[in-house]
Amino acid sequence: MKREPSIAWLLTMLTAALAAPVHADVNVGVTVSATGPAASLGIPEKNTLTLVPTTIAGQKINYIILDDASDTTTAVKNTRKLIAENKVDVIIGSTTTPNSLAMIDVVAEAQTPMISMAAGTRIIEPMDAKRAWVFKVPQSDAQMATAIVEHMTNNNVRTVAYVGFANAYGEGWWNEFSKIAEVRKIQIVANERFNPTDTSVTGQALKILAAKPDAVLVGGSGTPAALPQKALKEKGYKGIMYQTHGAANADFLRVCGKDCDGTFMPTGPVLVAAQLPNSNPIKKVALEYVNKYEAAYGKGSVSAFGAYAWDATMLLGNAIPEALKKGQPGTPEFRKGLRDAIENTKNLTVTHGVFNMSPQDHLGFDQRARVMVKIDGGGWKLVQ
Amino acid sequence: MKHAAHTTTVLLLFITALALAPLLLPEFYITLLNYIGLYAIVALGLVLLTGVGGLTSFGQAAFVGLGAYTSAYLTTVHGVSPWLTLPAGLLATALIALSIGIVTLRLSGHFLPLGTIAWGISLYYLFGNLEALGGHTGISGIPSLQVLDLEIKSGRAFFYLIWVVLLVFVLATRNLLDSREGRAIRALRGGSLMAEAMGVNTPRAKIVIFTIAALYASVSGWLYAHLQRFVNPTPFSLTQGIEYLFMGVVGGVAHVWGAIIGAGLITILKQWLQDWLPKLFGQSGNFEVIVFGLLMIFVLHRARDGVWPIITRWWPQRPTQARVVVEAAPLARRPMPKPGSLLLEIKDATKRFGGLVANERVSFSVMAGEVMALIGPNGAGKSTMFNGISGVDPLTSGTVIFRGQRVESLPARDIARLGMSRTFQHVRLLAGMSVIENVAIGAHLRGNKSFIAAACRTDRKEEARLLREAAAQIERCGLAEQMYEAAGSLPLGKQRIVEIARALAADPCLLLLDEPAAGLRYMEKQALADLLRRLRDEGIGILLVEHDMDFVMGLADRVLVMEFGRKLAAGLPEEIQRNPAVVEAYLGGVE
Amino acid sequence: MDMQIALLLGQDGLTNGAIYALLALALVLVFAVTRVIFIPQGEFVAFGALTLVSLQAGKLPGTLWLLLALGTLIALIDGALALRNRQFRRGLWIVSVYCVLPLLLAGTLFAIPAATLPLPLQVGLALMLVVPLGPMIYRLAYQPIAEASVLVLLIVSVAVHVTLMGIGLLFFGAEGSRTLPFSDVSFSLGDALLQGQAVLVVVTSVLLIMALYFFFERTIYGKALRATAMNRTGARLMGISGTLAGMLSFTLAATIGAFSGILISPITTIYYDSGFLIGLKGFVGAIIGGLASYPVAAAGAILVGLLESYSSFWASAFKEVIVFTLIIPVLLWRSLKTHHVEEE
Repeated sequence: MKREPSIAWLLTMLTAALAAPVHADVNVGVTVSATGPAASLGIPEKNTLTLVPTTIAGQKINYIILDDASDTTTAVKNTRKLIAENKVDVIIGSTTTPNSLAMIDVVAEAQTPMISMAAGTRIIEPMDAKRAWVFKVPQSDAQMATAIVEHMTNNNVRTVAYVGFANAYGEGWWNEFSKIAEVRKIQIVANERFNPTDTSVTGQALKILAAKPDAVLVGGSGTPAALPQKALKEKGYKGIMYQTHGAANADFLRVCGKDCDGTFMPTGPVLVAAQLPNSNPIKKVALEYVNKYEAAYGKGSVSAFGAYAWDATMLLGNAIPEALKKGQPGTPEFRKGLRDAIENTKNLTVTHGVFNMSPQDHLGFDQRARVMVKIDGGGWKLVQ
Repeated sequence: MKHAAHTTTVLLLFITALALAPLLLPEFYITLLNYIGLYAIVALGLVLLTGVGGLTSFGQAAFVGLGAYTSAYLTTVHGVSPWLTLPAGLLATALIALSIGIVTLRLSGHFLPLGTIAWGISLYYLFGNLEALGGHTGISGIPSLQVLDLEIKSGRAFFYLIWVVLLVFVLATRNLLDSREGRAIRALRGGSLMAEAMGVNTPRAKIVIFTIAALYASVSGWLYAHLQRFVNPTPFSLTQGIEYLFMGVVGGVAHVWGAIIGAGLITILKQWLQDWLPKLFGQSGNFEVIVFGLLMIFVLHRARDGVWPIITRWWPQRPTQARVVVEAAPLARRPMPKPGSLLLEIKDATKRFGGLVANERVSFSVMAGEVMALIGPNGAGKSTMFNGISGVDPLTSGTVIFRGQRVESLPARDIARLGMSRTFQHVRLLAGMSVIENVAIGAHLRGNKSFIAAACRTDRKEEARLLREAAAQIERCGLAEQMYEAAGSLPLGKQRIVEIARALAADPCLLLLDEPAAGLRYMEKQALADLLRRLRDEGIGILLVEHDMDFVMGLADRVLVMEFGRKLAAGLPEEIQRNPAVVEAYLGGVE
Repeated sequence: MDMQIALLLGQDGLTNGAIYALLALALVLVFAVTRVIFIPQGEFVAFGALTLVSLQAGKLPGTLWLLLALGTLIALIDGALALRNRQFRRGLWIVSVYCVLPLLLAGTLFAIPAATLPLPLQVGLALMLVVPLGPMIYRLAYQPIAEASVLVLLIVSVAVHVTLMGIGLLFFGAEGSRTLPFSDVSFSLGDALLQGQAVLVVVTSVLLIMALYFFFERTIYGKALRATAMNRTGARLMGISGTLAGMLSFTLAATIGAFSGILISPITTIYYDSGFLIGLKGFVGAIIGGLASYPVAAAGAILVGLLESYSSFWASAFKEVIVFTLIIPVLLWRSLKTHHVEEE
């Protein structure tokens, strides 16, 4: 048997691995979960990053985008690579909370600011020396959960069932939601889990039906979030349904179809940008993004997740000019300057809200960052 | 020993290169080497378990998780020093591996890999569902390692720790495989039948390698937790478990260095694809996994034994490690029973396979110092009888008394311990191992050094004595020239002789030979007959199954003829040759 | 848990179990004939369903490109081989099977809007697109190393699985889809409501299993496959080509996989990566059957479906832990029952 070609190939591979690019511009390292279980979130983020401006304040920006396959080890490996090999000035990512948590130590050690696109509150709290380098753009689960609980109290919901992903997303929502619901005296009568790729959630649906809750909250992201809802409807559930902002994309509507009519969910304003009053400053920014994204990827393709990536770059666009005053890209001074500038972001309107950061608050969103929407006739309707 | 010197040089060069690597290589390459090291430690366990022991496991990632989670939990919640969590993690892993092993290693064939999938998935979801372990989100803020005042935090410092651990494990594994216990493990691959007949406690050997592999994985997990300083369930999922197996097989799962090659190849390849594919295909789309999968199929097509055997072709093949030291003291021999005394007595031996009766109430006996021949047409139940006597496949009913002790319900290895040894009709040698190593398996019960002694090389004195014994038996059987050749490269007739040498290495007082003369040429048969006569004169009892009538009649003291599982006739050779029933059975009713 | 819930869970478990059983049969078949543990079986489930989704949405399914690419590759390899051996007629045959047929299929898809076709035709088209991938993958990935050890074949299966999953993500995206139901009928059984589609899944599975039985008992190809499964060398000596048997078993496995996907896609959402877990549970069934016995494998698969359904009711977070931990005693029991002296 001929085996020599594989040796030659091995050699080429090893030598080729030694090549590394060198840049003098601002280098932005990105690690997103474009494959693996979180791909439905990571892909729109990755897509968005091909649309963002490549010059800010006359400075060329290079985006180095890596896929971490929804895996923490790879996310950390990517982070180390971006810092050591690509000499990036800032890191955007990753898509999921565990990945982002795992990256904190690495960026803090390298004194490189990081902007996470994951929801988990633990990414930026409690604030400490390491987290000083970490920012995040998506609304926290807690913020969104509060919106849901408020809506529930206003609609006389007394008992609620929760069914969420058996992963960090479902768990994060459960932790925040159960805490806030307890404070507001809403009784949780069932707490169920399912896997995104499960083909059946009949067991969970029956358990929930048996508990007879006034409302059900589904803690899932993307199309898999439709499965419990469809199962409940099919089994004749008549109560109010809530989804989380993770389900805010067009594919969810497509799969869920008429079973999702009347569902409430909290989300960033970008999802209903066109329905916002003209007086809302977010409308203009959000529409600009929506138009740009849909022009590139097709009508109705926009999702809340891609917008996080957009917001992260807007945050940078705002901070880089300040940081340039402190030092040249590629230097520790620049990175420190960038960190300080992001922390000092004030009144920056982005697609999901308005940033007002502070040393204690590395998210900086207020009420304007979340709206309640209702699914109606296969589209999102802003609930006033 | 020029080749061995060559191998040592390559090894020294490799170690020097590793020692210098952190001083010369850029930071990220150190990071990569760290991960390669971590993966290789796990893959090394798989080499032992899968490549050598023949037990396929998809669940190693779960053991990595055990090591990582034990340390993460104890350090963050209870503030225990990481140096104490290492033994704690090892202990937890050992306990869990032992209990899982005792249950799942009983699974035969394809049930075992599925068993590993089953507990691999179960442990993964347990990590994710236990709130104390941070749930699916994970545990952050794991402290870094400290030696006195020195913090092992940087990739470079960790590099030395990981690779020293890896190299120590590689060498220990290599030592282990080149020892008495190592040969027993390697014998597992040839099926547990032969190993058991040579006195190897195969369930124990399986559990031991399973536990060692789990402990390697656990150490890797401990290192991972303190390198990463964050743990969550995903790195310990089934997917990662499959990936470890993947690394092992691609690298060469039968070789300790294959683990490092496999881990390195896959890690570097992924990086390389991550760097180059976007340049070829642009940012949209994810081609990395596709190209990765295709390349792996290609590699496996070209190198189904993995990449390591290809690399070793660059320098002369290292010879077999086992070498005879002539000065070694001979092994103690067991006292032989008096010639003519009753050695083996079979009463009413019956064996049923479902409705088929293979042996029906057969009775006979063998004396010390005699050759008893068991003959009969194919399917008469001779080999079944052998399996029943040696405990390899116990009888359905009847008694077997060996040296005054009832043995019909003892496992094969305990019968072997009493001094019964056998060969197999279908040769059961380990084709890739040298003749001397194969024969040394026969002497398994004549040594007692443990796995640990083997790994630390404190077993060398005993090992030398075992090998000397093996060499003596090989010479006695006339195969001295082939001693260091791979057993599989010998002609079939010679392989049968190797089986006899292996049986003799056990220092038996009863020898069961199943068709030893098949495939031998005339001169070789003569030599074999001479050997058997000498053994008989030494007082060994021999029970022989053979089809060559000239051979049998010239050698046997007594003959037992079987047909359709029953005793047809018994007596002296001359009587048997004249017995009309026997003639009928053999010649099939000649008119 | 009252009677109605128990019934509904039972129905759910049976529906899933029926699919697992189908896959288990295919896995047993492929393993018996080729010694390949066919992990990519799950990808055929996803590909079958998602191809039908694309057709119904009026889009060109990505699997078409895969079919064309693999076909061309095989035509190049085998064609070159035939040319070198001066077997021109064989070369022509190869090119027409591997290139012209897929091209004709592509032409058909371009010419007629698949979305407007009646459902059976759509299903037929989807099967025609996905099923040939089975034997093609066998030809490219497995046939060159047909004699390798089970472990190497298994690792190649992993590599094929990884590749197909990557391709699936590329073609169909990360989000899932459903197809239109075959029937909207539902029956009431006591208090419980039976979904027409779920009944259809079970009935079709049973029919398919019976069809397979007849295939193996009554047809010459079925008998050839059985012969190969029992004794590979013997079958070859009797003139049954190992390659043909391999291709045939992969065709059957691909058909079963793709059809299973099409069957369940109206009642659940199918993702590009759905197949692995479904396949794994089929694999559990297959192993319970010792990778040899069809009826036991089917029973094992249904057991998995039921276990899953009931444990998702009792403790959904620990569903997988329960299912896979309960599998171990079953495995032990099977392992002890099938205890035998290694063949000599």
